[in-house]
Amino acid sequence: MTRRRSVVLAAIGAALAVTLPAAFAGSAADPGISPTSIVIGGTSPLTGPAASYASVARGANAYFQFVNSRGGVDKRKIEYRIVDDAYNPAQTVQAVRRLVEQDRVFAVFNTLGTESNLAIRDYLNQVRVPQLFVASGATTWGRDAAKYPWTIGFQPSYAAEGLVYGQYIARARKKAKVAVLFQNDDYGKDLLASLKLGLGRSGSKVVAAEPYQVTSSDVGSQVAKLKASGANVFCIFATPTFAIQAYVFANRLGWKPLVVLNAVSGTSNIMVLASEGGKNKLVEGTITTTVLKDPTDPRWHNDAGMKQYRALLARYAKGANPNDVYHVYGMAVGYETVSLLRRLGANPTRTALMSRARSISSAKNPFLLPGVSVKTGKGDNFPIQQGQLQRWTKGRFVPVGGLWASKRN
Amino acid sequence: MTPREQRIFGFVVFAAFAVFVLVLPQFISDFRARDYAYVGIYLIALLGLNILTGYTGQISLGHGAFMAIGGYTTAILMAGNEQFGGPIPSGVQDIWTLPVAGLVAGLVGLAFGLPALRLSGLYLALATFAVAVAMPSTVKRFEEYTGGGQGIQLFGLPELTGSNAVASGEDFSAPATFELLGLTFTQNDWMYYLAWSIALVAFAGAWLILRGRTGRAFRAVRDSETAAVSSGVSLARYKTLAFGISAAYAGVAGGLFAIASAFVNPDTFPIALSIFLLVGIVVGGLGGLSGLVVGAIFVAFLPLWAQGQDLGSVLPDSVIQGDTISIPILGDFLFKGTSAPGGPAIVYGIVLILLMFVLPNGVGGLFRRIGQLITNRRYSRAK
Repeated sequence: MTRRRSVVLAAIGAALAVTLPAAFAGSAADPGISPTSIVIGGTSPLTGPAASYASVARGANAYFQFVNSRGGVDKRKIEYRIVDDAYNPAQTVQAVRRLVEQDRVFAVFNTLGTESNLAIRDYLNQVRVPQLFVASGATTWGRDAAKYPWTIGFQPSYAAEGLVYGQYIARARKKAKVAVLFQNDDYGKDLLASLKLGLGRSGSKVVAAEPYQVTSSDVGSQVAKLKASGANVFCIFATPTFAIQAYVFANRLGWKPLVVLNAVSGTSNIMVLASEGGKNKLVEGTITTTVLKDPTDPRWHNDAGMKQYRALLARYAKGANPNDVYHVYGMAVGYETVSLLRRLGANPTRTALMSRARSISSAKNPFLLPGVSVKTGKGDNFPIQQGQLQRWTKGRFVPVGGLWASKRN
Repeated sequence: MTPREQRIFGFVVFAAFAVFVLVLPQFISDFRARDYAYVGIYLIALLGLNILTGYTGQISLGHGAFMAIGGYTTAILMAGNEQFGGPIPSGVQDIWTLPVAGLVAGLVGLAFGLPALRLSGLYLALATFAVAVAMPSTVKRFEEYTGGGQGIQLFGLPELTGSNAVASGEDFSAPATFELLGLTFTQNDWMYYLAWSIALVAFAGAWLILRGRTGRAFRAVRDSETAAVSSGVSLARYKTLAFGISAAYAGVAGGLFAIASAFVNPDTFPIALSIFLLVGIVVGGLGGLSGLVVGAIFVAFLPLWAQGQDLGSVLPDSVIQGDTISIPILGDFLFKGTSAPGGPAIVYGIVLILLMFVLPNGVGGLFRRIGQLITNRRYSRAK
């Protein structure tokens, strides 16, 4: 009996002696980098109130698989771990710690949601893991780059977007009375504040603003209050589910304002849903902005980038709806990530990744609108700072004016 | 087994389990220790819920709300709420907030126990559910105290034990260590030991409460309120007491949850959490304590397994092909979260249904049956 026990103890001791040094022996490469793979990871809402954004991760993954089929980056295959956080920041924190500490990812990539990214930013900057191409337009990603050097955004900032809407409304309507529905967090407040800035002293002004909580079930009461304000312009700064509800409720109340819809919901598939099979006339004339090529737009029917998009989606994301423009976003960010990784050369490090991410000059992303470039540099920490205003007209988006560009953010 | 033997056997198993808990971190990866810390936290909450539901027969669908009260108490004491315009300054070290978290949640539980006296069965379940539903909005309503929807960030605060930990070497994302009481901990190991030492004390506490007079009164209330009253058990006293104790347990668990996540916001304690806790005690076995460890493992890990995060270590390779799991008859499921919206929920549901078929009385019921088998064999041999 005692002998057997000592054998067991010796075996455990031997096993520890063998495995522990191996566990602590550091190799030259950064975590997540092996001769055959680069492991990155990020959270995405696969369930919950914002599950429609899951397409962003799916689109990016499809692009990585395509690159992998062509030999990957420097013979390394990109492995993209997508973890569900149900759009719940508390879950994001746990999932991201898991990605960093257990899965040992090279970088946290494309994590979606303003609140979710705010919840993990301090942690990632302390452990010096890149928080690459945050899928949120909050202004803080670019504005606070000095304080958070390991974090970088991607899409145009909400501050730039709100400013453009404000300027447009000021031009298009004399003395407009604007009502705003916004999500009660940094994202909604960013848009609202910059909208007011854009309206300036034009005589048009915000007469009512109603917040909603991301956990609430509908926005009916908010829309009713906004209608009661007598506004003739209705700004919907909301995620897709709530944006569609806003159209439906406003229509039922017989309200007929000019609608300005934020870019995160301003996609053709959402407009089709909101139009309730043509019954809801309120969607007609909606103003929004975009940087992406719309897969349903006949203009891009023969476009090389969009042909590639459709082929890749059919091949690497079976069953995915090609008309869902969030897939295009995913591929666009996937494309930039691959070019960034290529620039790291044979021995990628996290430090090099961030320094290259702050010196991007990419003018030909095939999934972005022609003329929209991805650029960062000294003092410029906002990758995309351009966009195209567009109007929903008879079942599709038509561009309004040329590309807008934001200097500051 | 005679009751005396049973008690000795119980002590031995508990001591063995405590030793197991003590040495476990030596055998698992640093991050795994954090996963198991959450198991300890859920165990505390499940112990409390089982005192209320399993022993006293009062169904609560709102225990996540009591966890939220504890979690916010801890977070506000640590970070203060002056940053939101509230009156409370920061500065309480994390572990000292836990007794307060338990106390505050316990008092709220006692207060809730009073109206609960008039409700029973499904009506009580609905009333507690309403608390869980109302909790996120209530937290947002008092923004200057709670930070509203944005929540309270605890990461990096000096009040968080181990926030001064430094990584050795080049890789800053490697486990960071710090000194405490002459011992060296990684942050994850520290969290593990904190959660489990409280969980073991909570376990012993629950056992002490339930073994004597109070426990008997609880069970009497559960089995028949009329019979309990006619035997001189005060319904009002014991129902509110059960609510109070149970909520205090949940409060401590919530406080630990906030420390472990280093972040709280209204969604940290969603309605689903209350449901998961109830699932946890059903899986663990109503009216038993030891099975709850398995219930806690279930609550902490099944959502991850269902998402395929850890599936590789659980299922044989033949079942996993690339990104899909093949389940006979039901077909293939995508996993690794990639492109299967709803997939995790389906896996979760299937596992739960199977478990209830195989173990209708939960894991605790299984333990009891094994114990009975041993007793029967011994008695039949004695004849």
